[in-house]
Amino acid sequence: MKVLFAEDENDLREVIKKYLEFQGYYVDAVANGSQAVDKLSKDAYDVIIMDIMMPVMDGVTAMKKIREAGNTIPAIFLTAKSEVSDRIEGLDAGADDYLTKPFAMQELSARLRALYRRKRDYKTRTFTFGNLELDTESSELRAHNTIALSQKEVRLLCCLLLNSDKNMTADELLLDVWSGEDTSPDIVWMYISFLNDKLKSVKANSQINAYDSNSYRITEVRDV
Amino acid sequence: MNIYGKYYNAMTRVMNSLVQNIEENSRKHEAKTGEKLFEHLRYRIKDENSMLEKLERNGLGQTTHNALRSITDSIGLRIVCLFIDDVYENIALIKSIPGCTVIKEKDYIQNAKPNGYRSYHMILDMLADEPDPDGNTPGHFFVEVQLRTIAMDTWAALEHELKYKRDIKNQELIVSELHRCANELASCDVSMQTLRRIIRG
Repeated sequence: MKVLFAEDENDLREVIKKYLEFQGYYVDAVANGSQAVDKLSKDAYDVIIMDIMMPVMDGVTAMKKIREAGNTIPAIFLTAKSEVSDRIEGLDAGADDYLTKPFAMQELSARLRALYRRKRDYKTRTFTFGNLELDTESSELRAHNTIALSQKEVRLLCCLLLNSDKNMTADELLLDVWSGEDTSPDIVWMYISFLNDKLKSVKANSQINAYDSNSYRITEVRDV
Repeated sequence: MNIYGKYYNAMTRVMNSLVQNIEENSRKHEAKTGEKLFEHLRYRIKDENSMLEKLERNGLGQTTHNALRSITDSIGLRIVCLFIDDVYENIALIKSIPGCTVIKEKDYIQNAKPNGYRSYHMILDMLADEPDPDGNTPGHFFVEVQLRTIAMDTWAALEHELKYKRDIKNQELIVSELHRCANELASCDVSMQTLRRIIRG
């Protein structure tokens, strides 16, 4: 696992770098937010650990720039301050987790593992339901046949599969799949129609049913 | 002498009559709905060399009887449609043609081949007022009909090219990418079908 580590205090930077390298991580260490943004634009990393208070460019500003550039790399903030507002600002800027100094090295290591695990599991997850299999990495829907799905169809089907024990309203689905997009709410039933025809075309033994005309749920069907 | 012997002209008439029937069905459908039932209809009598090669490949003697009885695609039709539903509509209409019996059908649209191939195949037994190689009049003639969408046709064309080309670099990669394309084309075919249904209400 490749870690990018940004910390302005030289001693602390070296100690943590050595510790992480001893743990088997490959670590690139930089001294401020600007260098971190620069590094990330050139190289790929699995996780970034960043101090909040740094000269030249602080961690929150760097984090915002990283996310604005479309980078979804898991990020942990290190903060000397333990004020709530500081942590909120860091998380809102796009960090996934934080640690308040001083912290135990083992805890940093465990949080790194947790973040990396989550990223990997989410990316390669395969869902199964009845005879169907949804491979989110290759965007393929498989049952008797295989068919490709669009990114939106994958997300919509994921959302329905994760909530197969309850009815999902069109608003909930809209928020999950088309969050922040300027689109008509009718997009939901249209995509449900796409998915239902694709489920049929691979002979999946499940269908998405409409309840109260405005909520949906995926259920197994006996006769295909 | 031609492998089809004295039956060649009868085969041509059987083929043309079936083609006329299918075209007539399409014309009626178009008059009623304003839409064509298919985009292309291609047909052929299997080329003599191909037939001789096929008989040999199957360990069969190169006789007229084998060409018309053991091999079932001496007469072949391919119907290419815009939408998946149109494929099934054509199938239903073909089955209603007088003198036509379906003796074998394989739905590779609902049961895609492992490499991604999709099409609907039918072997028809056409009863015609012609003598056949078994001495019957009216006689029986086999016709193979393949039905598919334009997307499936495009895919099959490329797969056919790959199959007959030797020593291709990255063969394995191309095969797997071709499979991915088959799944994406199928996805598009289904989405277009869904949208057409939504538009029509």
